[in-house]
Amino acid sequence: MRQFGLFYRKEMLEMARSYKWIWVPMVFLLLGVMQPVTTYYMPEILKHAGNMPAGTIITMPTPTAGEVLAQTLNQFGTIGVLVLVLSMMGIVSGERQSGVTSLIFTKPVSFIAYMTAKWASMLTLTAAAFACGYAGACYYTIQLIGSLDVGTVIQAGLMYMLWFVFVISVLLLISAWLPNSAGVAFTTMAFIMLLSFGTSLLSRYLSWSPSRLSTIASEILTKVETLSSVGPVLWISLCSILICVMLAVYRMQSQESISAKA
Amino acid sequence: MNITVNWGLLAPILAIQLILMVTALTSLYKADATRGPKWMWVLIIVFGQILGPIIYFVVGRNDRS
Amino acid sequence: MTLLKVDQLSKQFKQHQAVKKISFSIDEGRCVALLGPNGAGKTTTIHMLTGLLRPTSGDIQLYLQGKQVADRRPHLGYLPQMPVFYSWMTGREFVQYAGQLAGLSRQEAERRTEEWLEIVGIQDAAKRRIGGYSGGMKQRLGLAQALIHRPKLLILDEPVSALDPIGRRDVLRILEQIRQETTILFSTHILHDAEEICDDIILIEQGEIAVQGSLEHIRQSHSEPMIMIETLNEAQAKALEIAIRNKPYVHHVASEHQTLRVTVSQLEEAERGIMTEAVQHQIFIRKLEAGHSTLEDLFMKVVRA
Repeated sequence: MRQFGLFYRKEMLEMARSYKWIWVPMVFLLLGVMQPVTTYYMPEILKHAGNMPAGTIITMPTPTAGEVLAQTLNQFGTIGVLVLVLSMMGIVSGERQSGVTSLIFTKPVSFIAYMTAKWASMLTLTAAAFACGYAGACYYTIQLIGSLDVGTVIQAGLMYMLWFVFVISVLLLISAWLPNSAGVAFTTMAFIMLLSFGTSLLSRYLSWSPSRLSTIASEILTKVETLSSVGPVLWISLCSILICVMLAVYRMQSQESISAKA
Repeated sequence: MNITVNWGLLAPILAIQLILMVTALTSLYKADATRGPKWMWVLIIVFGQILGPIIYFVVGRNDRS
Repeated sequence: MTLLKVDQLSKQFKQHQAVKKISFSIDEGRCVALLGPNGAGKTTTIHMLTGLLRPTSGDIQLYLQGKQVADRRPHLGYLPQMPVFYSWMTGREFVQYAGQLAGLSRQEAERRTEEWLEIVGIQDAAKRRIGGYSGGMKQRLGLAQALIHRPKLLILDEPVSALDPIGRRDVLRILEQIRQETTILFSTHILHDAEEICDDIILIEQGEIAVQGSLEHIRQSHSEPMIMIETLNEAQAKALEIAIRNKPYVHHVASEHQTLRVTVSQLEEAERGIMTEAVQHQIFIRKLEAGHSTLEDLFMKVVRA
């Protein structure tokens, strides 16, 4: 536990010194704010965009506040996930590649503390970034589009956050496996995209898939009757997160050689 | 032909972009080494809009030394 | 009293057997050199001792007051060949971090960090980022982080090979200072470094131990009568080598340019024999010196065999 605190504080400090604590939340804030603003200005932008004959009337259904927020979550699901993965892809492999692990692991350290501290630090940064972006999105949506129900917003937010936790757990597991950062980022993105795509394609069979979390969050906001029951998805997601972290620890522990260079 | 712009709404967005840019430039200034020449990163950060600073933080920083 | 005992230790990488069933032990308070040419298996052995690499077979045991310990790591200090740190940390932060990882309390780690930074001589750079440190400074910082928890055994991988003469001098001086308190095992491919501060030598070549024992003992037991002959040129040296190679009084011939180093069974007989051969083959001898072989000769013999 003492070592967990030590590792965790070190990760926090590293994230601060590499400016991650500024740029990742800022990107999320920007993502969150952009969606309501573009939605708001869309009619005017369209009006001025094409050379349409005078008198053309564009009728667009004005999206509800909930729909706008759901679209924002979509942005988080693509660009947001990419930013998270890219910003944290080197969290394990960077240390192993540089060789600093040979100083760390010759000390009496626990692999459980080492890996879970990394996981917790990723979780902290992700939560902070998501909170920033989501809060910004809510604020602008209320200002520009219409009011939101606080309970719904929080419920959807928590649901979406769990999806992010799943993503970083997968990232941690793949980090324990692959020796280089680019490979980690690519494999994680490929896995997440395949999972999301597969789930939407075979939604009937994969109604328990963790990637349903993001869909459920949107459905809560847009008040669409959800087709899947939330319970199994929550349980499967929590179990997958736990399994990912445990496997990642196990993998680190059982490696023949700790530093990537033999 | 003018879009009525509510500056009160857009100012924060520009501010965030500015913060990102300044942070990236500060980091670049302090960095001992980057992948590729520094002047190139200055151009990318300043003219790359939102993406510029992100690309710099993901690809340009070279933490190992 | 035995501190470390290594028994039949082997490491197999895919095709290549890097370490072949080596056994040795290290007594408390000794300074031991793991000597051998590049690629002999020194680093692999050290990685197994520190726990960075899993042995294919064999046993490593560390004893504390005669009792075997389950986890070696709290009692080991380790400095790799090219130590790498977190470049964004300052020197002081890293040593403190290392100390706390090794189990020291925060206050204790802070206090000892200042001590060690001073001993290794980088207290002036302590608040600078490690990213800007030179090779020599990193080596010193590496020593500080390896020693902060007062390990029973300090393991160093080629600690001075990459340093300039001044850096080398300084690191050897620091080692000289700490060997009073700590048992040291260090690897090197330079005999001179080993001779300078070590009590014991383990000479390894191609993954096997060739010679081991105390420096004194090896010096005596492997010292053979030897004749050093300098001829006019390389061709003549070659000719003389061929002429005497199979004589009964010759044990071993090593040639280097126009010089031959011949270990022999008996000095007078050999000297007479070699002179005769030289006259017969019209080889001009510029210099002939009779004496005894040094560690250097032994080292060269093992490495070139």
